[in-house]
Amino acid sequence: MDKVKSPIGRVFIHVILIFFAVYSLVPFFWTTLQSFKTVKDAFARTPKFIFTPTWGNYQELWLRSLPENGGQIAFFLLLALVILIGLLMFANRIPIPSGVIYFFVAIGFVLLLWGIPRLIDTAKFYDYFINTLIVTVGTVVISISIGCLAAYGLARYSGLLAVSILIAALAFRALPRLAFVLPYYSIGSATNTLDTYLLIILTLVAINQPFTIWMLRSFFMEIPKELEEAAMIDGASRLTAFRKVIIPIMWPGIISTALFSLLLAYNEFLLVRLLAQTIWTLPVAISRFTGGEDPRHLTLAAASAVSITFPIIIVILVFQKNLVKGLASGAVKG
Amino acid sequence: MKRSTFLKFTAPSIFVMTLLMVIPLIMAIWLGMQFMTYVNINDPQFVGLRNYIDTLKDPRFWQSFRFTALYMVIIVPAQLVIGFTIALLLDQVSRFTRGVYLSIYLLPFIIVPVVGTLMFKQLFEPSGLFSFLYQMILDDKFRYTEVSVKALIIIQGIWNVTPFALVTYFAGLQTLPAEQVEAASIDGASRWQKIRYIVLPHVRSLTIFILLISLMDAYRVFDNIFVLSEMNPIYKADTIQTYTFRTAVTVQRLGKANAMAVLTVLGIMIILIPNLIQTYRQQVEDR
Repeated sequence: MDKVKSPIGRVFIHVILIFFAVYSLVPFFWTTLQSFKTVKDAFARTPKFIFTPTWGNYQELWLRSLPENGGQIAFFLLLALVILIGLLMFANRIPIPSGVIYFFVAIGFVLLLWGIPRLIDTAKFYDYFINTLIVTVGTVVISISIGCLAAYGLARYSGLLAVSILIAALAFRALPRLAFVLPYYSIGSATNTLDTYLLIILTLVAINQPFTIWMLRSFFMEIPKELEEAAMIDGASRLTAFRKVIIPIMWPGIISTALFSLLLAYNEFLLVRLLAQTIWTLPVAISRFTGGEDPRHLTLAAASAVSITFPIIIVILVFQKNLVKGLASGAVKG
Repeated sequence: MKRSTFLKFTAPSIFVMTLLMVIPLIMAIWLGMQFMTYVNINDPQFVGLRNYIDTLKDPRFWQSFRFTALYMVIIVPAQLVIGFTIALLLDQVSRFTRGVYLSIYLLPFIIVPVVGTLMFKQLFEPSGLFSFLYQMILDDKFRYTEVSVKALIIIQGIWNVTPFALVTYFAGLQTLPAEQVEAASIDGASRWQKIRYIVLPHVRSLTIFILLISLMDAYRVFDNIFVLSEMNPIYKADTIQTYTFRTAVTVQRLGKANAMAVLTVLGIMIILIPNLIQTYRQQVEDR
């Protein structure tokens, strides 16, 4: 559309846009503020905007007791983190195959996460954080692996069977979760797998699969058929052509889809709430603070809300382009 | 691609979806015919259609159904209107400013639903920002009542879902045919006429797409309402989903909850089936 030119009109436009931005941001702003208050400040009848900020809520949430040499430990943990992230960022410039570096970085992260509770006296919330990581990573890896195979097949095969599968997947994506999750409880109870990562990850994979194959398929459709056909004329099998020719140029699409799967798994509440008794993930853990008499629940809820949101904001900042591309590619939504 | 190759590629995914989506759905129909609690979960007692009939006679089920309908009827149009308006306005500002606004607007959509709802709830606590403003402006204490809890749930819902419509509309506006707009300008069309006769027809199919998705999402939303109504069942702010959950977890009648879930699946079919048929035709044409 052509632009509004009158100055009053332009001011008016910005006033509305700013008003909507405030509406979007107020809950974040207020909760972050509350999370840095003492219980007394947080309960003040007249909201306090000027107060002495405290890390107390975060400390109580993440740590059971304060370590004596906290400064040193924090320094070493930070150093380890910087080294690992640095390796990730410059993997291409080091004269060792990137795959090897990624492998060792992954091991490094696992060792780091495993080591932290042995160095510092972490609280339950850290365990929930680890559970969330296990569930999220497991779901994304399995979803994307089997999803890529299926989406490629669906993009290249033009029979009616492919269309029927896609439509069935669409239908399953639209149905209310409880119709699957309640039977999952019975399945878990019958096979004795309630409260295991296996059941939670597999059911999450299944629930995310329709969305994953639709989105991946739309990316595969953009890749011309001639590419793998050329490789197959040179004698490669379909699977080799898929692995060596198609997957390397699919990475942007895979990252976009993985991002949405990651959000779906990280956000999941209902399924974990029903199927897990001890291995809670963060969204279930935080719902502990939604009520009750304990006044500390207000500030602890605020601190955990900010803690849960922080990693997601980092991920979004790093992958913003992929996210917007995924959203704009339309027809799919988490 | 040959049919056999296609089957090999899709086999793992189809296997998982059959095992953990098709079979559970069929199981739900069957489990709905059992009298089942957590005590006799592995040894349920067959009661035929009694759970289904019980559900249909349950006044609280219909009460939650009415609130679900109200929620959908308010949220879906609100999301479309607000999303479209903001997208139009956003289209007016410079490229850089757009990016800043857009990333702010996306936040409520990207955040973990449970967490976003909790953050919203913090505003309405007795010591929250909203309660303070309410007290200051209306000189009255903000209280949780049936009406205020329901209003809170709906406002939070709009906050959460509008970014989706906004981003989709905004992407649609970027493909507006420039020549048409220009021609209309030369012919002296007013801004409203251009919106009415060029923009709205252009985004028509997008509107249907957003409408369908948001209807189905509003129908099955759970997390947000659960967080806002969990502690306050007395406010009667249950939707079908949270009432089903409550029947399964609080009342511990798993069989009846399964029957309810099956009935809600039947309910959504009214919206879903035309959508599926249309997508099917489109896919068959495109292949």
